[in-house]
Amino acid sequence: MIQYNFTEEQKILIDLIKQIGEEYIKPYALEWDEKEIYDEKPIRALADADLFGIIIPEDYGGLGWGSFEMCLAVEKLSYYCGGVSTTYAASFLGSYPILLFGNKEQKEKYLPDIAKGKKLCAFALTEPQAGSDAFAIKTTAKKEGEFYILNGMKQWITNGGIADIYIVVAVTDPSKGARGASAFIVEKNDPGFSVGKKEKKLGLRASVTTELFFNDCKIPKNRLLAREGMGFIVALRTLDFGRCGAGAQALGIAQAAMEVSLKHATSRIQFGQPIYNFQAVNHTFADMAVKIEAARALIYNVAKFIDSGAKEISGASSIAKCFATDIAMWVTERAIQMMGGFGYMRDYPVQKYFRDAKCLQIYEGTNEIQRNIIARELIKYYK
Amino acid sequence: MFERINIENLPKGNILAFGEFYRNELNNSSLEILSPLKEVAQALNKKLILLFLIGSLEDIKNLEEIKKSLADEVWFVVNNELKDLKDDLYTEVLAQIVKSSQPYGLFFPATKIGMSLAPRVAGALKVGLCAHVNYLKVKDNQIIMSRPTYGENIIAKLVSKSSPVMATISLGAFNIKYGEREPLMKEIIFPENFSWSSKLKIRNFIPSKKKLTKLSTAKIVVSGGRGLKNKETFQKLFELAEILGAEVGATRPVCYEGWVEEERMIGVSGVTVKPKIYIGFGISGALQHTVGMENSEFIIAVNTDKDAPLVKMANLALIGDARKILELLLKKLKS
Amino acid sequence: MEKIIVCIKGVPEPGSVKVDPETHALKRESMELILNPNDRPALEMAVRLKNDYNIELVAISMGPPNVIPLLKHAYALGVDQMILLSDRAFAGSDTLATSYVLAEAIKKLSPFSLVLMGLKSIDGETAQVPPETASLLDIPSLTNVKSLFMKDNKWIAIREIEYGEEEVEVEGPLVCSVSPTAFEYIRPPSLKRLLEVKNKEPIVWQAGDLNLDSQKLGLKGSPTQVVEVIEKKIETKGIILEGETEELVEKLIEVLKEKALIKN
Repeated sequence: MIQYNFTEEQKILIDLIKQIGEEYIKPYALEWDEKEIYDEKPIRALADADLFGIIIPEDYGGLGWGSFEMCLAVEKLSYYCGGVSTTYAASFLGSYPILLFGNKEQKEKYLPDIAKGKKLCAFALTEPQAGSDAFAIKTTAKKEGEFYILNGMKQWITNGGIADIYIVVAVTDPSKGARGASAFIVEKNDPGFSVGKKEKKLGLRASVTTELFFNDCKIPKNRLLAREGMGFIVALRTLDFGRCGAGAQALGIAQAAMEVSLKHATSRIQFGQPIYNFQAVNHTFADMAVKIEAARALIYNVAKFIDSGAKEISGASSIAKCFATDIAMWVTERAIQMMGGFGYMRDYPVQKYFRDAKCLQIYEGTNEIQRNIIARELIKYYK
Repeated sequence: MFERINIENLPKGNILAFGEFYRNELNNSSLEILSPLKEVAQALNKKLILLFLIGSLEDIKNLEEIKKSLADEVWFVVNNELKDLKDDLYTEVLAQIVKSSQPYGLFFPATKIGMSLAPRVAGALKVGLCAHVNYLKVKDNQIIMSRPTYGENIIAKLVSKSSPVMATISLGAFNIKYGEREPLMKEIIFPENFSWSSKLKIRNFIPSKKKLTKLSTAKIVVSGGRGLKNKETFQKLFELAEILGAEVGATRPVCYEGWVEEERMIGVSGVTVKPKIYIGFGISGALQHTVGMENSEFIIAVNTDKDAPLVKMANLALIGDARKILELLLKKLKS
Repeated sequence: MEKIIVCIKGVPEPGSVKVDPETHALKRESMELILNPNDRPALEMAVRLKNDYNIELVAISMGPPNVIPLLKHAYALGVDQMILLSDRAFAGSDTLATSYVLAEAIKKLSPFSLVLMGLKSIDGETAQVPPETASLLDIPSLTNVKSLFMKDNKWIAIREIEYGEEEVEVEGPLVCSVSPTAFEYIRPPSLKRLLEVKNKEPIVWQAGDLNLDSQKLGLKGSPTQVVEVIEKKIETKGIILEGETEELVEKLIEVLKEKALIKN
C-alpha cells in the first residue's frame, strides 16, 4: 500500500527479479518443495542477470550497490520462493567476509567470480555443540609453515556442496577464548575438505543444507581473513550485514502469503457471500497489511542506515530481522487459517510459506539471540 | 528405364508437386498432397506432375507406390549429388525446372524439408508462397487456398498473384488416393554445364530414436491442452493412449511449453487428424487447433468451460477438471 | 570471424490481437508486442556464440517503433548493436516482401558470418522468412538448427528433420533458423546491460536508407493476398454433461466401451 520512490535503477532491478521469478521459479516452486529438489537453473538465471554482483564494488565487476538494493532483490525473490532466495542470500552472507575483511589479493581473486555468479559462497560458523553459543566452536586451524591445517566439522551449512567458496570460522588459539578464533576461506576442492549428507528440512526445501568436514584440510596461509584472532569479529560483523537479508526474505514470503489468501478470501463464497465480507476475516487481513508495511518500512530504513556507513548496526539489524521474521510467521499462519482446508493442502502454496517462514526465526541467529543483542545494545545506547 | 527428356523440352504450364525422398524412402505426405492438386489440375485442365530429386534410380524403394499415385507424370532428376538434402543445390535444380517448364503451380508438403526448400525456391524465383494451406479449390480459373489467421476465429482465403502459384500443404489434411492410370515416368536431363555443387556437406546422420508418430493416420487420438496444468499430467495421456491404442496429440501452447514434442501438435502448423474418435482433455479449441481435428468422426471434449469451442463441437462434452477426470479415468481403467 | 546478425520479431501478446478489417493484416503498431517466443533460442544461440568467439552481435527487427523495447531486451541479453527497420511502406508485407527488406538490411551490414532467426513466429507461423531471406542473399540456409559451432573456418550445424538429426558442414556465411527446443536453459537479461541500454536507442533504417524498390514493399510487394474471410461459427452439436468427476468418468468409460475401445 505504501508506495516507495524507487530510482530508475531500482525499478529495473525489481522488474528483472519479477521476470526471473515468473519464468524460472513460479512454475516449479511447489515441485521443488514437494520433492526437496535443488535446481540450479534459477541460480544460473540470477547469475546471468548479474544479480550476485549487487553488493560487489564495480572495480571487481559488480554493481557497487548496497544493503538496500540487496534487500529489495531478496524481498522480491522470496515472494516467488523462500528456498531459492535462501541459496541466493546465503551466498551474500558468504561473500560479506571477503568484501568487509579481505585484503586486495583476496578480493581480486574471489570477488569477480562471485559478482558474475560463477562461484557461490557459504558461511560456516555453526557446529553440533555451537549453535546460539557460537563461541563454543571446536573446529581448529593449526598453522604449519605456509599452511593452516583445519580439523573438525560444521553443521547446517546453507549451500554446502553447491558453494565453491566457504568462509569457515575455526579456533587458532584455544587459550584466548573468543579472541582465539580466526576466519578462513576454504575452496571446495581443498584437500581434506568434504561435504556431508543433505539435511531433510521442514521448509526452504529448494535450498541445500549440509554438514562440512575438515580432516587435516590443508589450505595456504593466505586464506586467512583479516588477522588471527579476528574470527568472531569477522563472523559477527558479517551477521550484522546479513540480518537485513533474512528480514527481507520474511517480507517477500509474508507478502506472497497475504496475496494468495486475500485472493481466496475475496472469491470464496460461504453463507452466500465472499468470506472477506466477514469482519473476523477482513480485520485479519488489515492486521496482516499493518504488520507487513511496518516491517517493510523498518527493513528499508535499516538497510539505508547501514548504507549510510553507520558503525553501530548490530542493534538496528537485529531489530529488523527479529520483527520482520516474527510477523512473517504470524502472517503465514493466519494466511493458512484464512484459507481453511485449502490452506492446509499441499496443492496450495500458503503451507509452504508457513514452513519456509519458520526457519527465518531460527537461522542467522534465533530471534531469542536477536533479542539478547537488542537488549545488550539498548543498554549501551541509553547508558 | 524411363523416358529421358532434356530440361528445355519439358511440357509447360502444369502443376508440379515436390516429392519428398529421404534416404531412399518416399514420404507419404508427397502422395497426400496429390489428392487436392489432382482436382485443381483437372479443373484447370492441366497435368499433375510429381517431381523427385534423387541420387540414383536404383535407390527408389517405393516405385510401386509412385506408379499407383494420382500423378499424370512423374519426373525424376537424378544425380549423385542429390543423394543428400542440400538445400542450396535442391533450390537451384527446382528453380531451373521452373524456369524451363513454367509451371502454373508448385507445391510442397509442409514437412520440415518442404518448409526448408519451398521458401528458398520462392525467394529464388521471387514469387509468393502460401503457408500450410489445408484447402485448395479453383474458382474463376484461379487457385484459392485457405488457412486460419492468427488470433481470429476466421479462415482466410488466399491467392498468389505471382507465377507459379506456390504453397506448402498441411500434413495429414488430405487422404492419399490412387490413380486409374500409371503415370508416365521421365528422367530430366540437365545441361552438361549445370553446376551440381553445394556449400553444404552432410557429415553425419543420426536417425531419430523416437518412432515417427502415426498421428495423422491414427484411428483414435487422445489430445491434451493447457487445462491439464502441467507436463506431468500431460504425460499421463501416453498411459491412456497405451490402453486405448491411441496416438497422443497436443495443442500449440502445450508444445511451446515443452510438455511434448512439436511433432504431436495438431492444427495449422502441425498435423491434421481424422480419427474415428478424438478425445480432447483441457482443450478449449482455438481455431488453430480445431482446423486440425474438425473432421474427426466422434469428438469427446473434457473441459471446465461450457462455452469453449471444442465443447460446442463435441459429440460428447464433459464439463469438469480435465486433470482430475484423466487421473480418475486412468485409475479405473487400470484396476 | 565476422559479425553475427539476429533477426527478431514483435508478436502480439496472445489475447491482444487487433486486425485490420479490410486487409486482415495484424495491426502491430497499436498492439502490445512481445518478443516472438521462438526468437529466444535464436538470441540464446547468438549470445553463446558471442561468448565463445568474442564477435559482434547485431539485432535487427522490422516493425513499428513499438518493437524498440524488444531490441533493448536483445541488447540486455548481449547484443551489441540494435537496428530497427521501420517504414510505413513496410506495412502489410508478406514473407517475400519481409525477406526482401531483411536481406537488404543484412547486405548493408556486410561482412557477416551468420544470420540467426527463430524457426517461425507464433503469429504467422509460416517458417518461411529464414530460408527465403537466405535465398535472396544467395547464401545457404539451414532450418531447425539445434547446435552450431565453427571448425576450420566452417560452420558445423546439427539440424533436425522428421527422420532424425543431420550434422551439416557449411561454408559461411549462412542463415539458420533455430529449433525452438535447442536449449534447456535460456538466460534472462543482464542487469548491467539493462542499465546501459536505458540511454541507448536503436539505429532506424527506413526504405530510403536501404535504397529499396518501393514496388517490392508492403502490400504492393506481397504476391500472396487475402481475397475473402470466412468466420467460423460453431454450433453446439452434441451432449454436454456436467456433474461430479466420478459420474463424468463413468460416462466416459461407458462411451469408450460402446465404441469398443475398452473391453467390458
